[in-house]
Amino acid sequence: MNNQRRFELCGIAMMALAGSAMVGCNKDAPPPPSGDSPPTAPAASAAGAKKHKGTPEDPFIVGMSQCNLGEPWRAQMNDDVRKAGEKHPNLKVIFKDAQNDSLVQRSQLEEFVNQGVDVIVISPKEAAPLTEPVSKAFHSGIPVIVLDRALLKEDYTMFIGADNVKIGREAGKWVADALGGKGSIVELKGLMTSVPGQDRHRGFLEGLDLKAHPGLKVVFDADMQWLEPNARKEMESALATHPKIDVVYAHNDPGAHGAFLAAKQVGREKQMKFVGIDALPQEGVQYVKDGVLNVTFQYPTGGEEAIDNALKILAGETVPKKITLATRVFTHDNAASGGNAIP
Amino acid sequence: MTDVQATRDAACEPLLDASHISKSFGPNPVLRDVSFDVRPGEVHILAGENGAGKSTLLNILSGIHTTYEGELRVGGVVRRFLHPKDAVRAGVATVHQELSLIGPLSLIDNLFLGREYTGRFGIIDTRRQAREARALLRELDLDMGALNEEDPVERLPISTQQLVEIAKALAAKANVILMDEPTSALREPEALRLFDRIEALKRQGKGIVYVSHKMDEIYRLADRITVLRDGALVGTKPASELPARKLVEWMIGRDLPSREHTSALSGDVVLAIEHLSVRSAELPDADGRPDVDDVSFEVRAGEILGLAGLRGSGVSDVLHALFGDRAGRVSGNVLLRGRPEVPDVKGRGRKTEERIDLSRDLASPDEAIDRRIMLLTNDRKGKGLVLDMGSKENASLASLPRFSPYGILRDRLETSATARVFGQLGVKGQVDAPVRLLSGGNQQKVVLAKCLLTEPEVMLLDEPTRGVDVGAKAEIYALLGEWARQGMAIVLVTSELPELLRLSDRILVLHRGQCTAEFSRAEATQEKVLHAAFGGSAQLGDSPSTQPDRVKS
Amino acid sequence: MKLLRQLLASPIGRAVLALVGMFILGLVFNADGAFFHWTTHRDMLRQLSVYGILSCGMTLVIITGGIDLSVSSVLAVCAVGFSILTIHQQANPWLAIALVLAGGTAVGALSGTLVGRFKIQPFVVTLAAMVLLRGLAKHLSGGQKISTYIAASDRSVELPAIFEGIDARVLGDNVSIVTLVFLACVAVSAFLLGHVRLGRYFYATGGNAEAARLSGVPVTRTLVLAYALSGLFSAIAGVCQAAQEQQGDPETGSGYELQAIAIVVIGGTNLAGGRGGMALTLVGALTIGYLQKILSINAVGEASRLMLTGAIIVCAVLLQRRK
Repeated sequence: MNNQRRFELCGIAMMALAGSAMVGCNKDAPPPPSGDSPPTAPAASAAGAKKHKGTPEDPFIVGMSQCNLGEPWRAQMNDDVRKAGEKHPNLKVIFKDAQNDSLVQRSQLEEFVNQGVDVIVISPKEAAPLTEPVSKAFHSGIPVIVLDRALLKEDYTMFIGADNVKIGREAGKWVADALGGKGSIVELKGLMTSVPGQDRHRGFLEGLDLKAHPGLKVVFDADMQWLEPNARKEMESALATHPKIDVVYAHNDPGAHGAFLAAKQVGREKQMKFVGIDALPQEGVQYVKDGVLNVTFQYPTGGEEAIDNALKILAGETVPKKITLATRVFTHDNAASGGNAIP
Repeated sequence: MTDVQATRDAACEPLLDASHISKSFGPNPVLRDVSFDVRPGEVHILAGENGAGKSTLLNILSGIHTTYEGELRVGGVVRRFLHPKDAVRAGVATVHQELSLIGPLSLIDNLFLGREYTGRFGIIDTRRQAREARALLRELDLDMGALNEEDPVERLPISTQQLVEIAKALAAKANVILMDEPTSALREPEALRLFDRIEALKRQGKGIVYVSHKMDEIYRLADRITVLRDGALVGTKPASELPARKLVEWMIGRDLPSREHTSALSGDVVLAIEHLSVRSAELPDADGRPDVDDVSFEVRAGEILGLAGLRGSGVSDVLHALFGDRAGRVSGNVLLRGRPEVPDVKGRGRKTEERIDLSRDLASPDEAIDRRIMLLTNDRKGKGLVLDMGSKENASLASLPRFSPYGILRDRLETSATARVFGQLGVKGQVDAPVRLLSGGNQQKVVLAKCLLTEPEVMLLDEPTRGVDVGAKAEIYALLGEWARQGMAIVLVTSELPELLRLSDRILVLHRGQCTAEFSRAEATQEKVLHAAFGGSAQLGDSPSTQPDRVKS
Repeated sequence: MKLLRQLLASPIGRAVLALVGMFILGLVFNADGAFFHWTTHRDMLRQLSVYGILSCGMTLVIITGGIDLSVSSVLAVCAVGFSILTIHQQANPWLAIALVLAGGTAVGALSGTLVGRFKIQPFVVTLAAMVLLRGLAKHLSGGQKISTYIAASDRSVELPAIFEGIDARVLGDNVSIVTLVFLACVAVSAFLLGHVRLGRYFYATGGNAEAARLSGVPVTRTLVLAYALSGLFSAIAGVCQAAQEQQGDPETGSGYELQAIAIVVIGGTNLAGGRGGMALTLVGALTIGYLQKILSINAVGEASRLMLTGAIIVCAVLLQRRK
């Protein structure tokens, strides 16, 4: 009986120790000692009032909420934000990962407001559940920068994102040129309930201009939800039912890569061209260099721009409501030199 | 019978010597300065009421309780067991009252659990184990029916499982064997076979400690008897110097009044069963015969009808069939005469006379309870009690609608009704503590309370005093007599022939599902009943073990 | 010290001790004082509510000795159904709620019938239901999220007031309505288990179904009702989820069933059945709620969060082992 009790006390001690260890090891640098006692309720400060001085001893706090870190592109976005942030010692970034759950992301916004951060940067999972929470945060006096995915209202300070329709259009134009106006196309789509998927699809069709190029035909399309294994499976179906495929257009590089592997498995990879989007240096660009993809279009994360604009906001400057990031095209010839910008 | 002289001569160094053993659980002393020893070639009976400390003493000797005061010597060497395995290694094997077999494992696996014959790389020598297992089964003359030693033990009936439990202890090649009520689930012929084995062990010079509540067993087996009462040693005497009355006096501290069963005025026929048959649930064996084969009988109000039979005779099935627990396999008719002024458990009115077609009506136990028929099963822990619930909640379970008008439980109704019944039955212990903590006798009383609270007119009892100590047994006998006097019709199945003869007004004997004999109270004897239980084919005087009755499980 | 021993002796004492430990953790790692704001606790309760509502039904089912893996899928179907009815069909919101709740209960009753009458293992039945209903959710929604933007006709409608009604706060902005719904579900379940005959039948069935049957307990009916109630609670959770997300997402709630099970287990209700109760589950829910909140306000990364949560579940279960 005594053993049992001892065991139980150990269990509690273990829990407490484990908790302390984990939390302690994973916090960012310990919070700077502030002279004020913690306020009992968050003060709804007027727009522009800062809670931190913005010096290396008392840096500005940027709260960044990323919808998930499962996609490599999003990990890249966080990386860009981190690198940009490190250049400025008067700035500290807190990263929160919403694990692809809108309600978690919503509560992260609430926590940032409670905590009194200086700027909020959010890459939202989807529009409907997060429009109101972002709006509430914005109206509580904290500037909000929205990255990549649009919301239903414009209740925020600024939106930074690339133009997926334009990127899709460029991809369509490239395909039309490469095939000389004639050929069979496979389109592997990203999650079609998300706006980027819809945009990249719409733009692609515009770029193909099927009316002007009647010889072009999309013989197979499927939703692979941005995921490489799914793209591979869908491509296997396409290969089984279509003896002639000239171009595979995937909404992102992992998808294009999966399609390539499927084609390679049946020895048909040289019969077709592969087109992707994202152009992460260690992923899509590398694929182009290796000859797996023929072309990829950069989808910039906007991480760096977010930090730059955050600083501007904190310095009291006015910033545009919307920044559309430009894209670059990477082919085998120019991949090593950083691709070509598209006007 | 036992040769006391021979064992006296053989007594030299005791195999096991426990001196001045004391143990407390928290503030409660359970054993106080008990000394006890076992000599080679003797059967030493440990007797006492429930709570006397027998189980605790046994648990200390078998290595389950590791903290105690006092000294234990095995073969002259002082030992302190830290684990049951230590006891086994020291040559002390235990057969527990509660089965410790692992259901899904085969008989062979169970026999050798923890003592497997392993070769290189830990690979088990299954052939050697199988050979030894089969030899042991033959020695014990264990009849497995349609199953063999490779089948999962949980498919064997409880009585066979208990024999396997005993085989396990015997296989461990111990010098001292502790047995805690080993025959509680056995029928008479199996018990007799066990006694033969015990005799054989005695001749080999082993020492046996045997805990039992059954008087005739005690006197059949004992060389010496030790009695405990309230944790203290009352005395140790050779069986020949301790007559039954004195033994009982030692056990309960007072003289037990002899109870004569007063014959009750039998009333009208309450239950008339016609052509009851129960098909077998398993694949048919060679005969393809049913468990119960065209049995008809009547039960009157105020009468105790005893059903006797060997394992496989179908007596339990008869009870379960009348309780709605053989639905889909049963056929036959029951004419039930109830008292219409008494509503059913749910408060609805009843007919005077109801003809029940068992193949259609009575599809589940709750329909039987509605008709004021209640069953007490022979497996209180497995089928009679919800061990995690308290006594009060177990007792009220079968009549809960009475205590919950419109579905809402009324604590006051429940508490007062259960308290009353517990008082009548003499149930001890906190009503809210889980019943798993109660002694066997108290647990059985809780189940009886549950039956009583359904206010039955027909009570079906399957082994009502199994695993219950002498004092509680006497109380239960008195209760049954009282209920019969009040007009309840009771059908009683018991494998203890003395109990059967003492309680029953009439006895029906079944053999292989068919009724072979009926005796009135006056004409019944143990021999006649056994004779009929064997189908009337065995001659009086033959040892039962030479008649391998091929019975199904 | 004696108080500690007494606390450790009972299941509820141990559960409360774990909760207190978690609270102390929050006081220590308070993220610049965020833990001292009432808003943090209020938001923790709101976040917890949907999981908590699911755990009410889960407790009932676990007490009967079973498990319900389909709660997350029932939640999704109901969220989608509710959204379709109110947003697209513009139906009366209370009628929609009633229909959806009835639907969830019916689905639960179906699972219960397979478990109780056809004697299929609960794990298998509810696993199949989980998969089938997730597919149904996607089918009903056409694979899209049901929101105020209707893709088919490319127009937007207004969000019905009921959504904001459920997602609102009351009592001076201090308590979320979904929190009140959660607490109401806890109260109803607690009453059922403690004072209603059916609740007693749950315990008996889970403790020893055979003994219960032989005591006249209608075991089949009891099991059907247990799973039906789980379906009902899942439906309530689905409506709350839709209100909070302002859409009916066929993918919503994935993995919530494991959260609900974790809450019940950490509270101390034994998975074998026959024991436990709502007080334990409530404390378990608060413990998990605080754990996740503390990790969140301290911006602990996902990897650590997952490992820590797993370790805490194991510790909590070890703590609860009976003598």
